[in-house]
Amino acid sequence: MTLLRRLQSWEGFLLAALLCIIVMNSILSPQFLTVGNQINLFQLSIEKVIVALIMTFVIINAEIDLSVGSMMGLSACAFGWLFHQGVDPVLAVVICLGIGALGGALNGWFIARVGLPSLVVTLATLIGFRGLARVLVEDRGITDFPDWFDALGQQGFLGPIPFALIAFVVLFVFLWVVLQRSGFGRKTYVIGTNREVAIYAGIDTARHKMIIFTASGLISAFAGLLFAARVGAVRGDVALGFELDIITMVLLGGVSIFGGTGTLMGTLLAILIVLNLRNGMALVNITGHIQTGVVGMLLIASVLVPRIDLGRLRRSKEETA
Amino acid sequence: MTHFAKLGLAATLMMGTATAALAEAHAMTLEGGMETNMVLLPKFLGILVFDQANEGAQEAHAELGNPGELLFVGPTPENSVAGQIEIMTTAATQGQGAVMLSNNAGDQIAPSAEAAQAAGVQVVTWDSPIPSGAGESVFVAQVDFGSIGVVMADMAHSILGGSGQMAVLSATPDAANQNAWIAAMEEALAGDAKYADIELVDVVYGDDQAEVSYNRALALVDSHPDLGLIMSPTTVGIQAAAKAMQDEGLCDQVKVSGLGLPSEMVSYTMNGCAPEFALWDFRDLGYLTYYTAYGLATGQLTGDMGETFTAGRMGAYTIEEDPGRPGSKRILMGPFTVYTADNVEAAAQ
Repeated sequence: MTLLRRLQSWEGFLLAALLCIIVMNSILSPQFLTVGNQINLFQLSIEKVIVALIMTFVIINAEIDLSVGSMMGLSACAFGWLFHQGVDPVLAVVICLGIGALGGALNGWFIARVGLPSLVVTLATLIGFRGLARVLVEDRGITDFPDWFDALGQQGFLGPIPFALIAFVVLFVFLWVVLQRSGFGRKTYVIGTNREVAIYAGIDTARHKMIIFTASGLISAFAGLLFAARVGAVRGDVALGFELDIITMVLLGGVSIFGGTGTLMGTLLAILIVLNLRNGMALVNITGHIQTGVVGMLLIASVLVPRIDLGRLRRSKEETA
Repeated sequence: MTHFAKLGLAATLMMGTATAALAEAHAMTLEGGMETNMVLLPKFLGILVFDQANEGAQEAHAELGNPGELLFVGPTPENSVAGQIEIMTTAATQGQGAVMLSNNAGDQIAPSAEAAQAAGVQVVTWDSPIPSGAGESVFVAQVDFGSIGVVMADMAHSILGGSGQMAVLSATPDAANQNAWIAAMEEALAGDAKYADIELVDVVYGDDQAEVSYNRALALVDSHPDLGLIMSPTTVGIQAAAKAMQDEGLCDQVKVSGLGLPSEMVSYTMNGCAPEFALWDFRDLGYLTYYTAYGLATGQLTGDMGETFTAGRMGAYTIEEDPGRPGSKRILMGPFTVYTADNVEAAAQ
């Protein structure tokens, strides 16, 4: 079985699962297919799914970025703090995006230049960024943002479609081209599969990883601002624990935690599965622990199934040898 | 709960009685049997007081003979904010008649609550309101928030014998109810000379989770060696703090007080770790909230200030301006019960 065929079958499985969920949801809830609900379905998790797109790059590159949730929180809190210090909101947005790029570059520098494991570095910045966020807003909520900022997060931008959803689609198309149709994308796979080989092939792996982690920080900061706009208020615990949901979606999408395999289309399918499943359960009033449990089972499946596949792959290799 | 110990509440109670008597005269009786689906949304699931509120709401639901559905759904503690926003948004999609919300998301819930209102859903808050009042039809307040401050200050005064250090162990930093009560207590402490020797040294947050609260309580004792009292205005925090002091054998030095449930606190009150605490009846709160939401969702109440209606067995209530949040509306339930070794066992039954 070739690598390509295995990927296709995993994505095929995801597509089938997604269709099943959509059909079940449509039968169980008359409101499921309404335009309003379909938009809400995305809107309720839009910040996480945006970050999942760049997380796909990080994990295919055989790295991990645990600091994304904290960066979202830091960016949102920095915006709230700056705005309340009287900084022009547009300038505040720019500064927050700068903080994101800088924080991401900091991760990248320690990982790519110093050579520390990304698990350790981003675990440290997960704590560090969150700490900064909490220092900025202390134990309170900041609210009363400018009307245009709130409107961007809470109202339709193009007809009923909110700004964040458009940003997601644009970003998906852009990143899809980069990952699946460009030299940068091919290098991402090569480095993820075998970094030694990539180095001997003359790829500047350190520069490549710097770019990916900087982008991860920048997009996380952007997502944090979207969150602030959507809920119209920030506090120190914004996006707390989001990194786990984001990584869940990427792994479910068939991206191997060991790097080198997976596609952005797989991540998109996994995103759609998680969102539709959550929405369907909410519409039939399954909330709280049961909902968490079902999503948790999905994660187990996403970790187990590729491993079973790998085992089969190894055996079939031995047979042909 | 037959015995009442009232502390510094005489004026408040008299005013309450006068309002009730006045209201009784032209109170509206809600017509039962009208269909509307409603959602009771607690801060999160797995907390006894919220289950009790649900019992009260279910009682009112049966009493009014609403053929619609009353759902009790909530998020998990780790996902409280996003979960509350999700359930509020879903309720709007489902076309529920009303959402009864104990808000844990601060003002972050406001956009989704406003969207729900725009979709025709009545948003009635109880226990904890939306701080800005945006997206909220009316808030059913358990007791006057100012009077909670006086009650807590008086309990502190009596436990500390008039002088000493105390710290507050609260729920989450953005819980509108706890924040308002702490502010009211600080105001009460500053406003009367008899509290001059009581020093509030710290305010910490246990996130309304037993383990976190337990550790925060112990950390308070470590960082403030002269601490005499931990005041916890949350049922989770007070129980965790009392257990922490009991487990570490600290009950002689550091007492615990605040807002607690008799059934959870009885052993700590009897062994002296938590000699005095206070609370109101969450069943009644759920019951009154249901009546209010039902009246609004069926169009029998308009939700305007000054409107008076009869809430079944609990009598007449009036919609008034919330003194703590100008421009927002509230219904005041009241009154308070202070529990001591004299009355806690009977109430814990």
